Amino acid sequence: MAQVTTRKKTPIPPTIRKPFRKSSLNGWLFASPWIIGLLLFYAYPLLSSMYYSLTTYSILDAGEFVGFKNYGELFHDDLFWKSISNTIYFAVFFVPLSILFGVSLAMMLNMKVKGLAIYRTIFFLPTLVPQVALAVLWMWLLNPGFGLVNGMLDSIGIQGPNWLGSMSWSKPSLILMSLWTIGQPVIIYLAGLGDISEEYYEAAEVDGASWFQKTRHITLPLLTPVIFYNLVMGLIGAFQQFTLPYTMTQGQGTPANSLTFYVMHMYDNAFKYFKMGYGSAMAWILFVIIMILTAIIFSTSKRWVHYQGE
Amino acid sequence: MGFKHRVLYKLSSLMFVFVLVLAGCSSDEKVEGDKDGKTTITFWHSTTSETAKGTANVIKAFEKQNPDIKVKSVYIANQGEGSNEKLLTSIAGGNPPDAAYFDRFEVASWAAKGSLEDLSELAAADGIKKENYYPYTWDEASYEGKLYGIPTTTDARLVFYNKDHFKEVGLDPENPPKTIKELEDAAAKLTIKDGKRFKRIGFIPWYAQGWFYGWGWTYGGDFYDKETKTVTANDPKNVEALEWITDFAKKYDVEDISGVTDSQGSGAMDPFLTGQISMKVSGNFNVASIDMYKPDLNYGVFPIPTPTGTDHTTWSGGWSVVIPKGAKKKEAAWKFLKFFGEEEGQKLFSESSRDFSAIESVNIDLGYADDPIFKEFIDILPNSKSRPVMTEGSLYWNELQTAVENSTRGKGTPKENLDKVNKTVTDALAK
Amino acid sequence: MNAKVKKRVNVTFTHIILIIVSLLFILPFIWMVSTSLKPITQVFTFPIEWIPDPFQWMNYLDAIEYIPFFTYLKNTVVITVLSTLGVIISCPLVAYSFAKLEWRGKNVLFVITIAVMMIPSQVTMIPLFLLFNKIGWVGTPLPLIVPAFFGVPFSIFLLRQFFMGLPDTLRDAAKIDGASEFRIYWQIMLPLAKPAILAVGLFQFMGSWTDFMGPLLYLTDEAQYTLSLGLQQFQSQMGTEWGLMMAVATMMTIPIIILFFFLQKTFIKGITFSGIK
Repeated sequence: MAQVTTRKKTPIPPTIRKPFRKSSLNGWLFASPWIIGLLLFYAYPLLSSMYYSLTTYSILDAGEFVGFKNYGELFHDDLFWKSISNTIYFAVFFVPLSILFGVSLAMMLNMKVKGLAIYRTIFFLPTLVPQVALAVLWMWLLNPGFGLVNGMLDSIGIQGPNWLGSMSWSKPSLILMSLWTIGQPVIIYLAGLGDISEEYYEAAEVDGASWFQKTRHITLPLLTPVIFYNLVMGLIGAFQQFTLPYTMTQGQGTPANSLTFYVMHMYDNAFKYFKMGYGSAMAWILFVIIMILTAIIFSTSKRWVHYQGE
Repeated sequence: MGFKHRVLYKLSSLMFVFVLVLAGCSSDEKVEGDKDGKTTITFWHSTTSETAKGTANVIKAFEKQNPDIKVKSVYIANQGEGSNEKLLTSIAGGNPPDAAYFDRFEVASWAAKGSLEDLSELAAADGIKKENYYPYTWDEASYEGKLYGIPTTTDARLVFYNKDHFKEVGLDPENPPKTIKELEDAAAKLTIKDGKRFKRIGFIPWYAQGWFYGWGWTYGGDFYDKETKTVTANDPKNVEALEWITDFAKKYDVEDISGVTDSQGSGAMDPFLTGQISMKVSGNFNVASIDMYKPDLNYGVFPIPTPTGTDHTTWSGGWSVVIPKGAKKKEAAWKFLKFFGEEEGQKLFSESSRDFSAIESVNIDLGYADDPIFKEFIDILPNSKSRPVMTEGSLYWNELQTAVENSTRGKGTPKENLDKVNKTVTDALAK
Repeated sequence: MNAKVKKRVNVTFTHIILIIVSLLFILPFIWMVSTSLKPITQVFTFPIEWIPDPFQWMNYLDAIEYIPFFTYLKNTVVITVLSTLGVIISCPLVAYSFAKLEWRGKNVLFVITIAVMMIPSQVTMIPLFLLFNKIGWVGTPLPLIVPAFFGVPFSIFLLRQFFMGLPDTLRDAAKIDGASEFRIYWQIMLPLAKPAILAVGLFQFMGSWTDFMGPLLYLTDEAQYTLSLGLQQFQSQMGTEWGLMMAVATMMTIPIIILFFFLQKTFIKGITFSGIK
């Protein structure tokens, strides 16, 4: 691996040049379970879905080969465009917010205060409650007339919006809900924080660094591998957003398709309208979109992701 | 640490071997060996609670009459309109159950793909005829003149109204609205609005079971011409119906209304039960949940009003039993279907599930006509309609939903939106 | 003195924020538990009644009778434990290889590993099913367990990030001492990555524990069903048996909470590199 840049701001221990180059066989050996798994459980389904995208496959019958017709048709599908814009809207707001919120939470949960174990468990709870229950609870909290949220806003003299019933507020509501189930990224950040060697902080303290300086020059840079991971995964997750809006709107994406996300539209085509070919084409377009975005993130990563190992 | 690791290592290799062995063992099962001359058929259903008891009773009686057949009944979560992943995959994999409980709405599209067994000949041979059933249930279970399922249950939609609310505002609870105009007036009287919040709303046309199919037919429109096989979503009468709905949305402000409708589909949070809405379109299946959540509710039902106050109609869905393509034991499965679909089986099923049977005499026998609420439903069933039997039924349904949503939200006129539905569905059918 | 006061203020401030956010985050859980103890008529009232009156403990007994709870529980445990074990064994190995070893084709394979996550599972579900059908695994829990032993892309990616963060100095030192690659991995690297491995294990555990689509597609006998399939059985056309459903959901959640409560300690800063030579 390249070990190009050395950072000045972080006190990274000097690296010994790796003198060992013969580990190729070992590398393959270590990775072999996944290579087999990839071939067994991923290659075939992926290639199949790629082939389906060129056919009118309906699950129930094989359909016929139609070349790129499905892809062409997509461009005339209004709901396709609508679902893309909804999905991008969601991703643009959700992904950065989830990182900001997740890192802050994790840092708070990494402090040495009493009752930490309990706090940590609580933050993890929403991810454990079944989705159906979450959906019901949200409708309840956000009910414009009787909900807890508007009730509280009312008491301080603000007329709350009609959250899920309004075309302009439905997506922000969904972003809010999704931030609720941020438990998994928070654990990852916590694990990341746990990996940062105490020595760095000790050294910084000797130099009289403030909390802010420590965060800026030690914590955040050394957390970047994990932030990088959560960024990529958050992006993939945001673009594949499905279960919560689907259960909450009974598959309809109401109001007025403002909550029809890309995968919801894909699912309807594949399973409700028996257009698996079309659905697969949608999946591969999604693939290209996420791939491009991920490639951009990866290409910039050398500039901002710091591995302690380097 | 070293010791722990060694133990873990051993344990994991052991597990791995175990899994491989497991894998080796299980790949050679699936031989449908029927011991002691008994045939076992697999039946997939999605019934739960009281409905599941109905299913169990049917199976018990069937097995008693057919000692050589055993029915293995398997509950499948998520089966029904639009979410049939399991049945789909099993048919695609060539390993489906012998029989399945199936949403009739989807018979046409599945039959068109060749995924259900044609039952026409078997039915004819055993004297199962259209005349025995509500005609629309039979039509819905058929595709291009062939029968693919035996109808089992049906339902209908009427307007439920809160009699106490009627009294309170001086409406006659025993004389509910007949015309659209009367419905509007009643709704206006019943509504109490406080700022943007409804303390109570009289009626919301699209709420609960107020799907657009019902309104189109109520206005005298139609959605599909069977003869010419053309989609008629933009039938002038349908446009009229949607215009009325749109006006209603404007009058009461659709966003304010959604405050009430947001909680749709959540049992006792149903605004009709909490008294937030005075009238709503709903089905007979709602009666059981009212009994469960609010048994003392003083309510009644009346047919969906029409512009003229006459020619009341409604629409019905329901279920059927089918044999998926690729089923191994068709003969035994057919026997089971036949039993389920004839009077005896239907009676056993309807008795515990409280779903209406697709056979009128069964409903009469079970005394539904003696119940003041159910009677209204039984009375209207012979005039009921069913959604168009076509391969793009689900698309049509969703598109109509979108048209209503967009029109009420002021995105495009009713005419434009219905024209669009027509085009989309026609295009899809042409493929 | 001044610094001490400042620290105390800081701690108090942290507590206040943590408590406020905790209140927000604990809501769904409280709702679930409270609903699980309510009679059906009390489930939906405005405003929410958080404390059931009276406590309907019967819901738990009823729920256990309504579905074959213990059978489903046993099935869920078997699938979950085995698949978690699979992930814990396979993923660190692969991730280590991606992070620390040099081999041809590594980067290409890594890109592919990321890429396979970008295709939504909804479209690969059918071909995957057909594959398992062909080898006769449909109707057994194998499709829900075996793939985990061959690695799960998101876990591999996550662990790779952690291994990348471990200093090479340790590895190099061990190499000079003549340790084999596997020994370095097993005795040095693996223990260092413990928090991440536990996190990955926990995610897999939760994923398997609550998975719905997998068991729905692959299990064909009610005797094999899992709890998440059981949850669906509380929904009927009359409405949902919320009390019973939430009772099962609560019973499903408690083990994970306990597990988490004890695991979370390992996420605390606890690794001192100086301690390992």
